Amino acid sequence: MNVGVAHSEVNPNTRVMNSRGIWLAYVISVGVLHIVLLSIPFFSIPVVWTLTNVIHNLVMYLLLHTVKGTPFETPDQGKDRLLTHWEQIDYGTQCTSSRKFLSISPVVLYLLTSFYTKYDPAHFVVNTASLLSVLLPKLPQFHGVRVFGINKY
Amino acid sequence: INHIVHNGGLYKRPFNEAFEETPMLVAVLTYVGYGVLTLFGYLRDFMRQWKIEKCQNATEREEQKDFVPLYQDFENFYNRNLYMRIRDSWNRPICSVPGAKVDMMERVSHDYNWTFTYTGRVIKGIINMGSYNYLGFAQKAGTCQEAASKVLSQYGAGVCSTRQEMGNLDKHEELEKLVARFLGVESAMAYGMGFATNSMNIPALVGKGCLILSDELNHASLVLGARLSGATIRIFKHNNMQSLEKLLKDAIVHGQPRTRRPWKKILILVEGIYSMEGSIVRLPEVIALKKKYKSYLYLDEAHSIGALGPSGRGVVEYFGLSPEDVDVMMGTFTKSFGAAGGYIGGKKELIDYLRTYSHSAVYATSMSPPVVEQIITSVKCIMGEDGTTVGEARVQQLAENTRYFRRRLKEMGFIIYGNEDSPVVPLMLYMPAKIGAFGREMLKRNIGVVVVGFPATPIIESRARFCLSAAHTKEMLDTALKEIDEVGDLLQLKYSRHRLVPLLDRPFDETTYEETED
Repeated sequence: MNVGVAHSEVNPNTRVMNSRGIWLAYVISVGVLHIVLLSIPFFSIPVVWTLTNVIHNLVMYLLLHTVKGTPFETPDQGKDRLLTHWEQIDYGTQCTSSRKFLSISPVVLYLLTSFYTKYDPAHFVVNTASLLSVLLPKLPQFHGVRVFGINKY
Repeated sequence: INHIVHNGGLYKRPFNEAFEETPMLVAVLTYVGYGVLTLFGYLRDFMRQWKIEKCQNATEREEQKDFVPLYQDFENFYNRNLYMRIRDSWNRPICSVPGAKVDMMERVSHDYNWTFTYTGRVIKGIINMGSYNYLGFAQKAGTCQEAASKVLSQYGAGVCSTRQEMGNLDKHEELEKLVARFLGVESAMAYGMGFATNSMNIPALVGKGCLILSDELNHASLVLGARLSGATIRIFKHNNMQSLEKLLKDAIVHGQPRTRRPWKKILILVEGIYSMEGSIVRLPEVIALKKKYKSYLYLDEAHSIGALGPSGRGVVEYFGLSPEDVDVMMGTFTKSFGAAGGYIGGKKELIDYLRTYSHSAVYATSMSPPVVEQIITSVKCIMGEDGTTVGEARVQQLAENTRYFRRRLKEMGFIIYGNEDSPVVPLMLYMPAKIGAFGREMLKRNIGVVVVGFPATPIIESRARFCLSAAHTKEMLDTALKEIDEVGDLLQLKYSRHRLVPLLDRPFDETTYEETED
């Protein structure tokens, strides 16, 4: 794979979250999701915000913390095959700027959602559970940890 | 921004290098494109797994399903869902010598590029903008070919032995003396394969306890050679002299990682022209740094030998420097000389050492005699020693072609990377769909181009790369430019807002994280 390749980067996946314009694309896609949900007539505003929060966290959990490895072959013989995309960012260096951005954005979304659902208890439970599910795997202590052996191989 | 660097008199001519930044809208749309492709990839995989769609890939047999799988199918995701769709832009079968024009066998696919069938027609006269044919020596008739066929009948096709055993012919000695004279160095040695020249000789030069400072965008052969040597590798930003100086200072001040002992050797690995960016190395500054910090320089002139410089002697002549400043001058015969193989030039002690200790000299077969004769004839032609001015004319024609082509493309409004004088012209495409579209549209208009995308380039920087040749006449270039203009309008590729930045300001500039060696 490194042959015919324009750079000496071993795993290009580590750089994707730092590329130009990806944070903006991420914000825009969350915005588009929200507008799509808002256009459905039966949902009230609190329900739409809770749905946005839950769907955003679910997709983030799936893409960053479930899918492992790289979609292409890397020249390091699969050293990162068992690592999720979050663990691959910047070769595992903790607290870099894209990691901070990706940790803060669910929190911002959660704050907005709590405001727009008027702090209703049922919505609160759902939103907090969803936020925790997406914040806990991002902690540095959880790097490489697989709880109960789920998603290990 | 004034991007012409004079830098205190180190440069004798203006150094015009520019990389325009990706427009933000284009970057966002590129990510959307990859996102859509990924979603559809998952959908198709789902359909294939549940047998709704036929799986055309190789799969395991039923009996093997319970064993541990040999390959992980996620690693093949990109290959089967993105690459397969645009696969017809690569590995096209040609049936003539790849000179300025090439003939190609037409092929069609009825199942979306999983299999190809040949229609039987041969498309003749495709303008070839993809071959590394810088001086136009890829010909099937001419002085080089006659000399090579004479040598073929005299010496045979192969040598069947290594240089150190029985494979050292008088032709090899003649070639090495000629190459040394061409480069202006004391001595040179030639090897059968350009890739192997790098990967087998860097381990002979540096070992454990040495430091290698290599450019970010170095070729796979240099990376492999550096890894095989066992030395510590540190990477500096592409063509960024501040980054290189910082690394040199840190290395000398702090020494080796735990023991703090001084490094045995510091070797700087750079290339003359970087083939994916079209940028030329800032050689005067690198040599000034090398002298100041007393390290060694390994210059890989694979693309720049024959293509730069007033008489084609490479990037050292282009900047007006002395070849004695570069410790190891490496190059290949594949690009400008129409042959195969590589060489290393330098001081006599260095080359004598390599003759004994290089892996290629001891284990690899030596170069085949007709190929050696082709190189000898083409080098003599470039130097003018065969009595004609053909070589000089070709070098000048290449320089004119380069300037003309780049100027016209810039005027049309495309984003072009690289230095004004490099014959490698990357034209930015950015979006994944445009990679396939550009390749196919250009083929419909009888022009063959090379396109590259992720993961061979960074995710938002897919490009089409044109390699100019001295064999291209102005009419061919005009035809090509007209077609590129049309395709550019059709695919909306004219992104340039003429805002140029002098250095390749990759978004992850100060904070680059590297793979730690454990």
